[in-house]
Amino acid sequence: MEMELFLIRYLHVISGIMWIGLLWYFNFVQIPSMPKIPDEQKPAIGKVIAPEALFWFRWSAFFTVLFGLALAWRNGYLVEALMLEQPNIGFGMWLGLIMAFNVWFVIWPNQKIALGIVEAAADAKPASARKAMLFSRTNTMLSIPMLASMISAQNPII
Amino acid sequence: MGKILESLPLTIVAGIVLTVIMIIATEAIYDSQISAPERAVSDMMNNM
Repeated sequence: MEMELFLIRYLHVISGIMWIGLLWYFNFVQIPSMPKIPDEQKPAIGKVIAPEALFWFRWSAFFTVLFGLALAWRNGYLVEALMLEQPNIGFGMWLGLIMAFNVWFVIWPNQKIALGIVEAAADAKPASARKAMLFSRTNTMLSIPMLASMISAQNPII
Repeated sequence: MGKILESLPLTIVAGIVLTVIMIIATEAIYDSQISAPERAVSDMMNNM
């Protein structure tokens, strides 16, 4: 039991570091750097680096949530947390779920259009790129209280 | 909201503001859950 809980938490944290690390890479490095990159070099980002980063980004989001929910369930606080009867971890869980929803159902579908992974009208690309960027920024904003909540569940601040 | 999210520094400030709101809400929920005798014990322990 102890070993099982350790492994689930370990995998949750590893997946979470990859997810939020890539989220912050997109927002702190890639998006601000794109205007400074010469046009002839932009395909290196759009065709190679971004699709690869997005693969790890969306699957690490999936496994972070999966292992997080498994951890809450095996520890017996899943329902209490989601009902905010344990708000310390509950707020973090809800923020994580909203962020994962954004990744899979807003950011990834729009990035597929923006990067030309799926067929779309040429004028749809800028709109999709902007929508993906704004929801990625939303997740960056939500990651700050989400991480505070996750840490305060282990080290209460109130 | 779009204006805030277009700016990375403002996004971070908004995240910090949300964190403060979340901490206040967490405290309010805990306060609403605690019974009167528990609150008296908690206050006594805090004053020791």
